[in-house]
Amino acid sequence: MRRSVGVGVLVVGVLTPFVPLLVWAVSGRWRYPSLLPQELSARGARLLAEPGSQVLSGLVTSLTVGAAVTVLALAVGTPAGRALGLYSFRGQRLVRFVLLAPAIVPGLAVLLGTQVFFLRYGLADSVAGVVLVHLVPTVPYVTLVTAAAFANFDVGYEQQARLLGARPLQVLRHVTLPALRPALMVAASFAFLISWSEYVLTVLIGGGAVQTLPLLLFAYARGADLTLAAAVALLLVAPPLLLVAAVSRRLPRDHGPLVGLGRL
Amino acid sequence: MPTPRLLALSAAALGLLTACGGAEAEPGPQTRTGGWAAVLGEARGQQVDWYMYGGDETLNTFVTGFLADRLDELGVTLKQVRITDTVDAVNKVLAEKQAGRDEGGSVDLVWVNGENFATGQQAGLWHCGYDRDLPNAAYVDFDDPAVARDFGVPVEGCESVWQQADSALVYDSSALTERDVESVSSLFAWAERNPGRFTYPAPPDFTGSMAVRTFLYDTAGGPSALDGTTVDEEAYGEASSRLWDRLIGVAPSLWRGGETYPSGQSDVERLYGNGEIDAFLTYGPGAVGDLVARGVFPDSTRETVLSVGNIANNSFVAIPYNAGDQAAAKVLANELLDPEVQLELFRTAGIYPAIDLERLTDAERAPFEDVDLGPSVLPLTELTADTQPELAAAYVTRIEADWKARVLQR
Amino acid sequence: MSSSADAVQPRRGLARPARIGLLLAPALSVVGVLFVGGFALGVAQSLGYQPFLDGWRWSTDAYTTAWQDPAVRASVGLTLRVSLLSTVGATVLGVAAALLIHRTRRARRLLTAVFASPLPVPHVVGALTMLLLLSQSGLLSRVTHAAGVTGTPAEFPALTADGFGVAIIAEYVWKETPFVGVVVLAALSAGVDELEDAARTLGAGGLQRLRHVVLPLIAPSVAATSVLVFAFTFGSYEVPFLLGGPFPAALPVVALQYHQDVDLAARPEAMAISVVIAVLVAALVVVYLATVDRFVRRVR
Repeated sequence: MRRSVGVGVLVVGVLTPFVPLLVWAVSGRWRYPSLLPQELSARGARLLAEPGSQVLSGLVTSLTVGAAVTVLALAVGTPAGRALGLYSFRGQRLVRFVLLAPAIVPGLAVLLGTQVFFLRYGLADSVAGVVLVHLVPTVPYVTLVTAAAFANFDVGYEQQARLLGARPLQVLRHVTLPALRPALMVAASFAFLISWSEYVLTVLIGGGAVQTLPLLLFAYARGADLTLAAAVALLLVAPPLLLVAAVSRRLPRDHGPLVGLGRL
Repeated sequence: MPTPRLLALSAAALGLLTACGGAEAEPGPQTRTGGWAAVLGEARGQQVDWYMYGGDETLNTFVTGFLADRLDELGVTLKQVRITDTVDAVNKVLAEKQAGRDEGGSVDLVWVNGENFATGQQAGLWHCGYDRDLPNAAYVDFDDPAVARDFGVPVEGCESVWQQADSALVYDSSALTERDVESVSSLFAWAERNPGRFTYPAPPDFTGSMAVRTFLYDTAGGPSALDGTTVDEEAYGEASSRLWDRLIGVAPSLWRGGETYPSGQSDVERLYGNGEIDAFLTYGPGAVGDLVARGVFPDSTRETVLSVGNIANNSFVAIPYNAGDQAAAKVLANELLDPEVQLELFRTAGIYPAIDLERLTDAERAPFEDVDLGPSVLPLTELTADTQPELAAAYVTRIEADWKARVLQR
Repeated sequence: MSSSADAVQPRRGLARPARIGLLLAPALSVVGVLFVGGFALGVAQSLGYQPFLDGWRWSTDAYTTAWQDPAVRASVGLTLRVSLLSTVGATVLGVAAALLIHRTRRARRLLTAVFASPLPVPHVVGALTMLLLLSQSGLLSRVTHAAGVTGTPAEFPALTADGFGVAIIAEYVWKETPFVGVVVLAALSAGVDELEDAARTLGAGGLQRLRHVVLPLIAPSVAATSVLVFAFTFGSYEVPFLLGGPFPAALPVVALQYHQDVDLAARPEAMAISVVIAVLVAALVVVYLATVDRFVRRVR
């Protein structure tokens, strides 16, 4: 009995904040103190499709940056994860600390000092600069997750494949990567989600010229028309929810990567 | 942008060859049409990055729709870069200048005035000398002090005018009577009877700064007491101490008991829309019509000018000295002065025209007079009946700093 | 059943140190240049270094100015308070939720999915939802109005744009409880049931099992996630900006505001604040981990 009350409280607590978002997105006129909108309106939905509203271009920019960051973070973080997970060497604790520190120390605090240099070397106001700066919070998570996976990886399989005559690239493609698939999926999801949600680093380096969806939502959230803000918010929330749903369906029941997170 | 650059360069070269006399980088007044044709040619294929305040949704739709289409016809791409505060754009140009980026700058045009223009002038950030050469400059009254000086700082051709801002008080007529909104004193008295229903954004927000200055004009008896471009310590000290006393006195009757103030004008408008306050001051009284029509503001919304008068200023657009697409920026600045554009701006976004309507033909002027923004918006004649000029930029900065120290951080 | 790479001798190719070095090189250069380099630049600029500008000199003035700045002092208090309360809240609720879900038999996967749903939500969206829910004219206020408890927006407590940071804490707790909970749940699923059964057979009561079996098992996960939550909430910008007021504002908000000031004299102070944020977080994390380590060892 107590447990079902607990479960009920849990579900209500988790789902309640979603409610006003959904209702505001379709409301036309909803003044205090009515509990339900006085009028409904489609202007939120119209804003999403309107060419001049910058919502669609913001979506494209967010997807582009997110995809680029995911690919680069995986490329950079997976080898590091291998080094940390498979080997033990002198100075490993220091390297581990340096590589994981960006996950702990706030990105803004550390990157504020770089803005002038990004500006000087022409990387500010560009997608390239934004992608570069998004690597800072994402690479640690990719490293962490892949390190945990490599720690459980039996290198013997690679060795066997080499003995059978496979070239290094083939070993990678047919032995290593498939074994790492769950971890890579989790790592890629982390990287994409972090980049997708990132606001302050994009504002700092992108300078307003690189308009991602979080920047757009931030502007609307400060404004008077909350219907528009709620509509953009729903658009911003949809891809992450879909991604997580898709990935968790494909993951095996084992919680390896997440437990790895617990061994920070 | 390699390919458009090549085209622009060859067009410019051609323009240079065909123009009479030595056409320089800064277009001189030799043959206006010849010079302008060269600018148009160079602008074709360029993209103008216009950094502007992005908090007005109807204005944004106008810029990215109507205005962008007009520029498309001239072969120029308009990219609107929305910023929350003009100072961000000025900062960017300043940072680029310090970083040595003297050409190919990322900011092509900035919607600017007041302190931001002054800061830019001091730092030598603006490209100058082109405003009278724009073909549509014929519609501008350059002798008007509001056009020749921007918050007391001489414009000297370093920016081009584009819209007029007149402040007004927006209020919910179901909560305030006309007597309540007659003057600042009656408004404060109403606030004391209905605590928590009025507020203003914290300076240095642009509108918050205007609100404080409106109260200062009322306390000091008008802007003439604070003359000149530098702060007159004696006059300012006297007037301002009375102002701070007054603002601290009314603070407990304001929203949240005056313990805090909204961070920006958009937050104030949200409070009004949500029914948390009943009145606010604004620089954009025309835009209120659209918000009422959308249902964000109540139908009982009305506007008025307080007895102290309202503050009028012009907004300008300025081209940074290092703008990467200078010709396109000039084309945009020129388009903004076009009577058709000014009319459309007024009609759809409720933004008052900055061109001198007297210089239009009767046929051109009629549509302006026919625009009906709805019962919630003051007609242009009433709005401009009792306008006061702005104070010099030096005063503005000083008032903002003192407000922060004396009223906010008490 | 894994063998480390050290047990397997490479037949050909690079020597071991070179191999490790090559694997680490890309990540170390990215982190090294941007993170370590960025921090160094921040420190330098806080001490007066103004690149590309003439006439700068080294000085610690920025730190003294920041120390005496009322906005900064108020900000430190707010930020610490918000971070600590959010971390404690998210940790306690996350562990409780994980224990609850672990013991649920029916529809556990669905329950876990619902519980984890705030995880992918961006914080900007979270801030907006809290604004819509908790502002004085928000949904909660309208519910209390309908129930006859409040009559006007002003009668509803000020939870947004307030000096305490209630709505900010609410957003952090909503978003981070599932984070803690999901990781703890993973740790629990990794074999707590057998251990608990063994303890029960030996006569241990519920509370004893909790203290001696469950808590030690999840302690590393709890420690790690609460560190991450604290660090994140301390350095977050968008949530306190949208849900907080102008004064006091959170430290990252103040830092960015000063950085964007047209008056370049404010920039060293902005850098000083960001250095303080970085150092404070690092120091608190070290202290916390050391304390938890000692606790875990004693409990074990």
